[in-house]
Amino acid sequence: MLPSLVLFSFFVWVPLLSNISLSLYTTKGFEKIQFSGLENYLAVFKDDLFVGALLNTCEYAFWSVIIGFLAPVIMAIILNEIVHFKGFFRVCAYLPNMVPGIAAAILWTFLFDPSAGSMVNSIIVALGKEPSLLIDDSDLSIILIIIAMTWKGAGATMLIYLASLQSIDSTYYEAARLDGANFMQRLRYVTIPHLLPNISTLFVLQIISVFQVFYEPMVMLDGGTDASISLMLLSYNYAFKDSKSGYSAATGVILAAIIIAFTLLYNFVQKKLSPQSE
Amino acid sequence: MIKGKLSRKTYGLYNFMDYRRVWPKVVYGLFILFMLTVVVVSVLPPISLFFAGFKNPQDIYSVPFKLLPESFDFSKIAKVWTDMNFGKYFVNSVIVIAGALVCSIVFNGLLAYATAIVKPAGHKVVYSLVLGSMMIPAVLSIVPLFNQIVKLQLTNKHIALWLAAGANAYHFVLFHTYFKSLPKSLMEAARLDGCSKLTLFYRIVAPLSAPIIGVVAIFTLNATWSDFLLPFLVLKQDATRTVMVKIFDMQSNMSTSAQFGMDYLLVVLSISMIPPIALFIIFQKQITGSVSTSGMKD
Repeated sequence: MLPSLVLFSFFVWVPLLSNISLSLYTTKGFEKIQFSGLENYLAVFKDDLFVGALLNTCEYAFWSVIIGFLAPVIMAIILNEIVHFKGFFRVCAYLPNMVPGIAAAILWTFLFDPSAGSMVNSIIVALGKEPSLLIDDSDLSIILIIIAMTWKGAGATMLIYLASLQSIDSTYYEAARLDGANFMQRLRYVTIPHLLPNISTLFVLQIISVFQVFYEPMVMLDGGTDASISLMLLSYNYAFKDSKSGYSAATGVILAAIIIAFTLLYNFVQKKLSPQSE
Repeated sequence: MIKGKLSRKTYGLYNFMDYRRVWPKVVYGLFILFMLTVVVVSVLPPISLFFAGFKNPQDIYSVPFKLLPESFDFSKIAKVWTDMNFGKYFVNSVIVIAGALVCSIVFNGLLAYATAIVKPAGHKVVYSLVLGSMMIPAVLSIVPLFNQIVKLQLTNKHIALWLAAGANAYHFVLFHTYFKSLPKSLMEAARLDGCSKLTLFYRIVAPLSAPIIGVVAIFTLNATWSDFLLPFLVLKQDATRTVMVKIFDMQSNMSTSAQFGMDYLLVVLSISMIPPIALFIIFQKQITGSVSTSGMKD
C-alpha cells in the first residue's frame, strides 16, 4: 500500500497542493519568488485573454449541451427499438471512441479544412451553398470543435443510456398500451422518466468534461485562436508559452472551483429532487 | 402479417402487436435509416482519412472531392514507415505501455486491496482522497507535476510515465469495486486457516481477480497508447517520443518542414488508429460492458 500512496502523492495530491500555493506567489519560470496573496487572481481577471477564454468555455458548454447532449439519448432510444443488426450498429456507433484523442482532433482538422476540396466543404457545395472557411471561421470554430467531440464521445454515452433502457420492464409498456397510449405518449410517460436519473447525471458529467476542453482547440487551431481558446488551454499557454506559471495556477484553481461548484450544485439538486433516497 | 424478428419483439416502445399495423413499420424503417446514417458518420471519417493517405499531397484537397485515391499503393505505407523512422516511436510506445501495464495493475490493485479488504487505519481517508482527485481537472496539477519530474531528473525517461500509470484513480475504483464484491466468507475462511494478509492476496484474491485485471489491462493499454499531455511534456528528445507525441510534432511542424507532406501525416494517423480499433474488435464485450456498468468513458 505504501508505494501506491507515494505514487498518488507524487502524481496527484502534492502537485495539486503546490499548484494552489503557486497561485498565491509571484513566479519566475516555475519557481515561487514572493508571496503575493490574491494578486495573480486579480491580474488574470484583468487580462482580456482570460475573460475571453472564460466566455469561450461557457460557449463550449452551451453548444455541447445543444449538440452533444441530446444526440446519444436519441441514438440510444432508437437503437433500443431496433432488432436487426443491433450489434453491428452498436459497435459502429462506439468505434469513434477508440480513436485516440489527438488522432481524432487531427482527423477533424483534416475534414474541416477551409480549402474547397475538404470533405465537409464538398458536402456543403453539393448542397448548393458557398464553401465555408469552416474551422478558420471564428464564429464557427467552437461549434465545429463540439461536433468533433460529439463524434468521438456520443457512442460511449449512448451505451450507458442503452443499458438503462434495456432494464425497463416491458410490463410498463404493456400497461401504457392497454391504456391506449400512442408512441409519443409511451415515450413521454415510460421511457423518459426511466432515463431521467441517467440523463441528469450524464448532463453534469458532460458539462464538467467540456469545461476541460483542451486538445481540440490546441490541435485544430494551432494552439488556439482568441475566438476558441479554452480555460484549460489558456492555463497551459500561461505556463509553457508565456512563463507565467502563477497565472496558470490561478486559472487552474478558478477552473477547478467552477467544476466543483457544478458538482456540489448537482448533488444539492439531486437531494432536493429525491428526498427518499439517502 | 409480419415475419421474422419483429414478430417476436416483446419489449420497447413498439412491440410485435404494433408491427401488425402499417405506420409502425414505416417508423421502424426510418429508425433503421437513422442508425445507418449514424454508422456512416461514425465510420466514414476514419475511412476517408485512410484513403486520402494514398493520394499525392497536391491531390488531397482537390476539387471535385474524391473519396477514393487513384490507386492503392500499399508499399506507400511501408515507405512512410521507414522514411519517418516510425518503428522507433512504435517501440517507444510499446515500452511505455508495458511498464504502464505493470504499474497500473500492481499499484492500483494493491492500494485497492488495502482499502477494500485489509482496511488498515485511515483506509477511508485514502479512499475519499483518491475519489476526490477524480473531480479535479488534470491541468490543475500538470505544472507542479512537470516541475517535480524535472527536479527528479526524470525527463526523457519512460519510467516517469510508467509510475504515472500507477496512480490512476479510475483503475483504482475499478479494482476497489471488484474486491468489494468478492464473497466475505472466503476471506474469513482463509484467515481462520491461518493465511497472512500477504498469502491471502496471492492465494485467494489474485487468482480470483483475473477478469478485473483483464479489464484494467485493456483500459491501460488503450489509455497509454492515446495518452498525450504528460508524454508530450516529459519526452523532449525525439528519440524517446511515443507515437502520439510524434504525430502531434509532425502536425505542428508540417507547414515548415519540407521532409514530408500532408499525405505522410494522414498515413501515420491511420496507422495510429489501428491498434486501439483492433483492441476494440478483439475485446468488444469487455470494453462496451464496462462502459455501460461503470459509466466510465475513457
